Amino acid sequence: MTTRGLGQFYPVSSPVHALDPRAKLLATAVFVVGLFLVDSTVGLLFVAASLVALVVVSRIPAGTFLRLLRPVLFIVALTLLFQVFFSREGVTLFEWGFLEVHSGGLRLGFFLALRLLLLVSSAGLLTATTAPVALADGIEDLLSPLKRVRFPAHEVAMMMTIALRFIPTLGEEAEKIKGAQAARGADFTEGGPLRRARSFLPVLIPLTVGAFRRADELADAMESRGYRGGEGRTRYRELRFRVSDALALSLTLFLLVVGILL
Amino acid sequence: MKLELRDLRHVYARGTPFEVEALRGVSLVVEPKEVLAIVGGTGSGKSTLVQHMNLLLVPTSGQVLVDGADATTLRRSELRRRVGLVFQFPESALFAPTVEEDVAFAPRQLGLDEEEVRERVRQSLRALGAGHLAGRSPFALSGGEKRRAAIAGVLAMRPEVLVVDEPTAGLDPLSREELLDLILGLRESGVSVVLVSHDLDEVAEVADRVCVLHEGRVSAVGTPAEVFYGDPTQAPATVRVTSLLRGSRPEIGDPVRSQETLDALRALQGT
Repeated sequence: MTTRGLGQFYPVSSPVHALDPRAKLLATAVFVVGLFLVDSTVGLLFVAASLVALVVVSRIPAGTFLRLLRPVLFIVALTLLFQVFFSREGVTLFEWGFLEVHSGGLRLGFFLALRLLLLVSSAGLLTATTAPVALADGIEDLLSPLKRVRFPAHEVAMMMTIALRFIPTLGEEAEKIKGAQAARGADFTEGGPLRRARSFLPVLIPLTVGAFRRADELADAMESRGYRGGEGRTRYRELRFRVSDALALSLTLFLLVVGILL
Repeated sequence: MKLELRDLRHVYARGTPFEVEALRGVSLVVEPKEVLAIVGGTGSGKSTLVQHMNLLLVPTSGQVLVDGADATTLRRSELRRRVGLVFQFPESALFAPTVEEDVAFAPRQLGLDEEEVRERVRQSLRALGAGHLAGRSPFALSGGEKRRAAIAGVLAMRPEVLVVDEPTAGLDPLSREELLDLILGLRESGVSVVLVSHDLDEVAEVADRVCVLHEGRVSAVGTPAEVFYGDPTQAPATVRVTSLLRGSRPEIGDPVRSQETLDALRALQGT
């Protein structure tokens, strides 16, 4: 409950939260594809500015949003360093032993790092502003044309919903088991990586056993309430694609086209 | 050993929309060789409170003192050994291939030699009447057997204070009786026991003192007679019956345990 990471829903009300999940899913997809077509620094900065504006509109505090990104910062930093030190394009700016920094490498490094950061931010914004259940509903709806070719869209969405629903439950369970083993003298911080990995076995084993037990119980509970797949099933929350959703989607598209042209 | 909690406060998920103030200034002393029961409704902060006793949870503010010394100055492993904590549904943390191995986990972490570890495993399993389960897989046991194996796993550290969170929840009456006998036996051997429970009838039988938590604060603390006769609506069956009689026959006194109550009723009949 206290740890917040990538992909966690942040429940406040904002225009972005209120959008149809399908609109947000499509916009994110468009954004991710579009990002790879933006090849000028100015264009990328423009797209970055648009995303920052979107985060502001979503009413997610900047600090919280940056914390959501923390898990990927390492990869972004690695990309940056790799490009800066190993690219040999442009003018030499700096030389120290075998290390050389070239202007081209610096530019490319920042460009790729920013692109990666934007990629993750857009996905992060989607999951932070869309409740997991709404997200799964949206995915089911977008995949439903594939039902014609016997793709189990409902089942896939149901599996996703259940998986998402059980992340916090399993997290809580893991905390409890960690506490119980710590009370028995387990130490998860001492020793080398191998010893530390071994020290997690007393947590992982009961957690796995518990997950299987829960799965059985859930299946029984669903069957006893008459669940039998997606055929003829209606929804409590109906998705509505409104004008505002169309506008939001068009706006995303427009901003990206501007970014690509710049 | 004397365990003292001073003005403990605990806030979960501070600074987020999920913020919850679970403890709002709890002060409490666990005296040596006593059974202290902590009762209170769901969400009153019982489970949060007991996790502070071995600093599994660090208080937002306030202090935990072990024999007068600040618990944060003790080594973690030392503190965890001296204050043994049995979580609610402790059987969910069983993990080893055999019960014996599982119970041996804690003493091994203490770095004891193999002979001592075996001796402690044998003793704690016997104390719980679970010696015959030593070679079995903990996953193949019944609920009550699992519970015993899990409690033995903490007892094997030979704690000076044993904290048990709802140990009898979901157990059959016989297992419950045996567990309460174990608690009394531990007190005999000089261990303090902190018993968290919903069940006022079992609290009445074993507790030397009772502490009532309400919305993160101590709303009453004292002997079972003081606490339960103070508010007979939230009391074990014995006290509810006796307090009804007390209106017309005040000489019945304030018995709490069932044996005491029976004796008091017999005395009343005799006169």
